[in-house]
Amino acid sequence: MLFLTMAWRNVWRNRRRSALTVSVIALSLTFNILMRGIGDGFHEQMVDNSVRANIGHLQVHRKGYHDDPGLNRTLPDPARVARAIRALPALRGYSLRVLGDGLASTDENSAGIAIVGIDPAQERTVTTISHAVTEGTYLGDDAPRPVLIGERLAATLKARLGDKIVLLVQAADGSMGAQLFHVSGIFRSGAPDLDRGVAYIRRQDAQDLFALGDRVTEAVVLLDASAAVPAAQAALRAALPVEGAGACEVLSWNQVEPFLEQFIVLDDAFFYIIVAILFIVISIGILNTILMSVFERVREFGVMMALGTRPRQVVRLVVLEAAVLAAVGIAVGGTLGSLLTIYFAENGIDLSSFAAGAASIGITTTMVYSRLTVANVVLSNLAVFLLVVLVALYPAVHAARLRPVDAIRHV
Amino acid sequence: MSLVTIQHLTKIYSNHVSVRAIDDVSLALERGAFAALAGPSGSGKTTLLNLVGGLDRPDRGTIVIGDAEITAMPAGALADFRLAHVGFIFQAFNLFPVLTVLENLEFVPALQGRPAADRRRRARELLAAVDLAEVGDKRPNELSGGQQQRVAVVRAILTEPEVVLADEPTANLDTANGARLLDLMERLNRERGVTFLFSTHDPQVMARARRLIRLRDGRVEGDEQRTPAGEPARP
Repeated sequence: MLFLTMAWRNVWRNRRRSALTVSVIALSLTFNILMRGIGDGFHEQMVDNSVRANIGHLQVHRKGYHDDPGLNRTLPDPARVARAIRALPALRGYSLRVLGDGLASTDENSAGIAIVGIDPAQERTVTTISHAVTEGTYLGDDAPRPVLIGERLAATLKARLGDKIVLLVQAADGSMGAQLFHVSGIFRSGAPDLDRGVAYIRRQDAQDLFALGDRVTEAVVLLDASAAVPAAQAALRAALPVEGAGACEVLSWNQVEPFLEQFIVLDDAFFYIIVAILFIVISIGILNTILMSVFERVREFGVMMALGTRPRQVVRLVVLEAAVLAAVGIAVGGTLGSLLTIYFAENGIDLSSFAAGAASIGITTTMVYSRLTVANVVLSNLAVFLLVVLVALYPAVHAARLRPVDAIRHV
Repeated sequence: MSLVTIQHLTKIYSNHVSVRAIDDVSLALERGAFAALAGPSGSGKTTLLNLVGGLDRPDRGTIVIGDAEITAMPAGALADFRLAHVGFIFQAFNLFPVLTVLENLEFVPALQGRPAADRRRRARELLAAVDLAEVGDKRPNELSGGQQQRVAVVRAILTEPEVVLADEPTANLDTANGARLLDLMERLNRERGVTFLFSTHDPQVMARARRLIRLRDGRVEGDEQRTPAGEPARP
């Protein structure tokens, strides 16, 4: 206890220097927590945007479809798949889709596109495409063969609401399928791939167009949260055949779009490099402070040792002083960093000036919301505390190695 | 019976030139002694005191305190030995500035692991005994030099070490305060049997020491037992 008292008072002997050191610790921790929080929020939004825009948390296909998609690999027994999906405890919604490639043509132009056949009501429970409609309606029931296209595709085809579009495909039986559709709606998702290369039609129309009968190519599942993915994936794998004829593959969002996870890993790596550089810089500052504090008290260390203080107790005192600095810095920085992260979680950060670049990597909103996690706060605090304590070891050992007889004479 | 036995002690400082700070010194200090090492600057007083206190290592010779030969001890064991058996009083007082007087006094017993209530009670008792009861909660910089050195004396004797080593204890005090300090140390020696070994060139200390060991060029030049009044003892 006496050592703790000494450590606390020693720290505040030079108030200005200690306040500066505490500020450096606090600011670096604030930066760490806030940037980690923004990164976590940013990544979560990216995943959420991709999940809600198109891919869902889980996808179920016939085995091998993901690597080599084709109409000859339709989903085996969709009714069984749907039953298994509906049994998931964390289920928010699911959609059975028909996916195929084709050519969209108007009188003005034509473009190669992906055609997605959906049940509009079912799809609404999974993706946000219904909210992205900027003109017209979302595959309204009253329209004959409606098609919903993205703004960019509409521009390419020079198509407007009500215009006719011919969709030309190679059907499942090898024949050429062609149907006339009417533009019932135009959407802007913000995701370039969707806006320029996808046309949504009703699932029944797609099954007719591709000559699929009542077959579908995939089931897309939305869960309450990303955290529920592993359990839900395991449950579906247990409920559906995964080997042999009629086998299914159950893929998570990061298996469907691995680049998204790779981007997050890469982004995290850059963040940790920046944090490492920051920590190295502040370590030098903290080392300087503690070294100066030790050099100023050489005589005191000599007296302590003369009175019977063991070298390891001297190490403990110096490390304790560093721990006091770290604790105060953590109290200030941890609080400030958490409050700022909470503030930006509620109010967001406006990235509208970077919207084009953000959209290219899957961020389709112009506001990024940070996210505060217990892991972020605990790990950041722990990292800063350990850093300060580790930095203090060198001056502590230096003090402990002083010869009492020399140290007492030190002026 | 000897408390401290020094045999053929030699300490050589080697920098650009080699200096024998202590040169083949042998002497014994009896329990309850009130002895002074005297001599001009550079005679080896402080070096000998540091060697006896285990703060420095001799090049040759042995020092035995009680039953322990301290010259053979490793650093950690030596620290423990000092903690248990040796008290120090320094010329510059060397109280810890961040601790109050009472906390300074508790430092050594705290290192020894004595209970907080016990060490605080003992510190208060001894402070009162040296007329400093009212300064317990003050910091050292709020005390006069004389008061600080009296606190330092209390710190040195609080855990009842076998020997107290005092390096020029009156050097930073005026004559009156020096006399008061000597009164205190004499009283502790007389009433509590504390063994004192000083290094000094203060005539006041030399006059009151009951044994005066004169050093010159690292050697014992004279060693006389004296009466309490400071006169050489009659055979």
